[in-house]
Amino acid sequence: MNNYLEIRRFRDDQIIWVSRNHFQLNQLHDEIITSVITLSIQQIAERYGPIPCPFTFFMMGSAGRFEQSLWSDQDHGIIYQKQGTEINEYFLALGKEISKGLQIAGYVYCEGGVMASNPLWCKSISQWRQQLDNWLLDSSWELIRQLLIFIDGRSLYGDASFLESLKMEVYHTIHKENLLKKLLSNTLHLKKGIGILGQILVETHGHHSGSLNIKEKALFPYVNAIRLLAIKENIFETSTLSRLEKLPEFELSTIKRKLYTQQFLKLLNIRLSLAKPDNYENSHYISIVSLSKKQKEEVKEILKNGAALYRYVRNLVEKEDI
Amino acid sequence: METIFLMNSLWVMVGAVLVILMMGGFILLETGSTRMKNAGHIAGKTILTFGISSIIFWAVGYGLIFGEGNPLIGLSDFFYSGYDVEGLALSGSVFFLFQLAFAGISLTIAFGGFAERAKLGAYLVFAVLFSVIVYPPIAHWIWGGGWLAEHGKQDFAGSTVVHLTGAMAAFAATLILKPRIGKYNKDGSANNLAGHNQVFTALSVLILWVGWFGFNAGSTVSVDGAFFGFVAMNTNLAAGAGVIAAMIISWIVMGKADVPMMLNGALAGLVAITASCAFVDTWAAVLIGFISGILVFYSIRFFEKKGIDDPIAALSVHGTAGIWGTLSTGFFATPELATIGEPGLFYGGGLHQLGVQALGVVSSGAFAFIVSFILLTIMKAVMNGLRVTEEEEIIGLDMSEHGSYGYPEMVKAEKTAISSEPKLKF
Repeated sequence: MNNYLEIRRFRDDQIIWVSRNHFQLNQLHDEIITSVITLSIQQIAERYGPIPCPFTFFMMGSAGRFEQSLWSDQDHGIIYQKQGTEINEYFLALGKEISKGLQIAGYVYCEGGVMASNPLWCKSISQWRQQLDNWLLDSSWELIRQLLIFIDGRSLYGDASFLESLKMEVYHTIHKENLLKKLLSNTLHLKKGIGILGQILVETHGHHSGSLNIKEKALFPYVNAIRLLAIKENIFETSTLSRLEKLPEFELSTIKRKLYTQQFLKLLNIRLSLAKPDNYENSHYISIVSLSKKQKEEVKEILKNGAALYRYVRNLVEKEDI
Repeated sequence: METIFLMNSLWVMVGAVLVILMMGGFILLETGSTRMKNAGHIAGKTILTFGISSIIFWAVGYGLIFGEGNPLIGLSDFFYSGYDVEGLALSGSVFFLFQLAFAGISLTIAFGGFAERAKLGAYLVFAVLFSVIVYPPIAHWIWGGGWLAEHGKQDFAGSTVVHLTGAMAAFAATLILKPRIGKYNKDGSANNLAGHNQVFTALSVLILWVGWFGFNAGSTVSVDGAFFGFVAMNTNLAAGAGVIAAMIISWIVMGKADVPMMLNGALAGLVAITASCAFVDTWAAVLIGFISGILVFYSIRFFEKKGIDDPIAALSVHGTAGIWGTLSTGFFATPELATIGEPGLFYGGGLHQLGVQALGVVSSGAFAFIVSFILLTIMKAVMNGLRVTEEEEIIGLDMSEHGSYGYPEMVKAEKTAISSEPKLKF
């Protein structure tokens, strides 16, 4: 494809066909993003010459976890092999080009600036190593949050080993310095999705009155809890489902693993089938009044199990001796 | 001069001071529950309209309520000059001041329905009209020897007279003024136009709570038997029960202990016990307060859902809780304490007192609502609208009505601030 608008058209044509299938949808997202990257590389090569050294472009957030809905914002970074002023500038320009291309192709900019167009997320491997060490050692709330974002990183283009080796070092330090509890406390606040009478707690004000914020109240507990277990067990997979699959029996019994896998899958499907698909913001909400009785019960089950899983992981991490 | 006369006068003077200090509570309540661009205006107009209400009360209000007349209205003692009143065991001027404070409070409650969108002129004109035409007739009916007093209506310190009357005027105003810009979306869903300072709101509740000892206990208008202590105790119990109930219900239903809701619960408890504080046992005071905390929660949600924008929850806190408080004596008034009227349903009094209370609520509420609605409709036509322009509403009434912001630096800073907080990526 020769320009970003063409990619956008491709996206608009294709996405309808996979909009009800979580796996096909995420494959399509990968395909679209990869074509943006390829095109950006061409554009930058025309302007500044060929790529100076090997690199990897990786996705984070829901794209990193292979858990995008119809819409998502862009979260990504670049790791390159060598460093030098010109090389830094080259990859930053590439990051900016990709980010612009993704925007045109239908992925809104990340409000928090988690993008390869931001020097914070576009670095040589040695600079990355230093930055990650800083994040781990400083371990302030904000830096730990960035670290958790990084841990969901998944290479989409280039040499995946750069990302893997950095992650391995991060995991090593987390265990050596006993930082798991610190990571836990970063995502400890759980927004209640279900009241003590067993009712679904919906938004009371604004455009989404009467709707459940499925992202914060249903998805977050599963994703955050399973990420922690994955870190604990040195699992490099990024999707919640594959992390669940890799967890050893002593960490989560087979019965529970099956239950949570099934619940999370159901959640992904409910999100695709029920959330208003018209834009990024709306895709996080499902209207409760429009649910059938059966669907309502399913949502309640998902919320209850998410909270239970979160409690379980919390106890597990808090019990760890320091 | 007799000691009892002096002591009564002194006690009621203390009550009058406490009730007038409640104005400070209302200033904090109303500003805290609204946005900072209107804070100076709301604070200032509260003082201004209390001034107007005071002068009107002296000129005609007092006479219309307590003057010699017929069962519908009093018609003497205008421009009251401070003389003692025959049969009154305290100084006439102290009694006058105490009653003046009540009229001021009722007007301030009514203005809750004007908040953040009415022109200053509308406040000035309605302050006069309310103080002459709306409040005095109802106060005369119940407290000035009017037709409801003859029926044995129990409204010790004014759940109906002060709170329901104010709330009904607020109701009429909020219907005529329509919701504030940005309160409702096109699809009918409500936005939360959060108040700018919960600390103010909490402090307001504390000031009102203490002021209520003047309001209720002061309404004994005598130190006889130190009965004011019992009244004050019931008042405190109901406020405590109200705040607890509102916290519990918002926690159960919404999953969080909502701060504005808890504060409204305390106020609802106070409003409800105002009618019944002298007629019921302590356990009933707790129950009355508790029920009002739950009622206020559902009432606020109800009005919001119906598209009625009530910025400081005047309709629910003073209206719904005022009605409940008035009816509550029909259930809980004990034979020993029912010095006016009959005992309640739970004390073998049957439905009689409940009927009297209901009649009082309906007639007073309907009168206050209908008359206010008519007055405001006429004002709207004559004054070329009651509401500020859209532009004025957006820049804030501080600027449009008075030419300066209550928080000059803050409002400017708010305009330029860019919010950025780290989020976990999903």
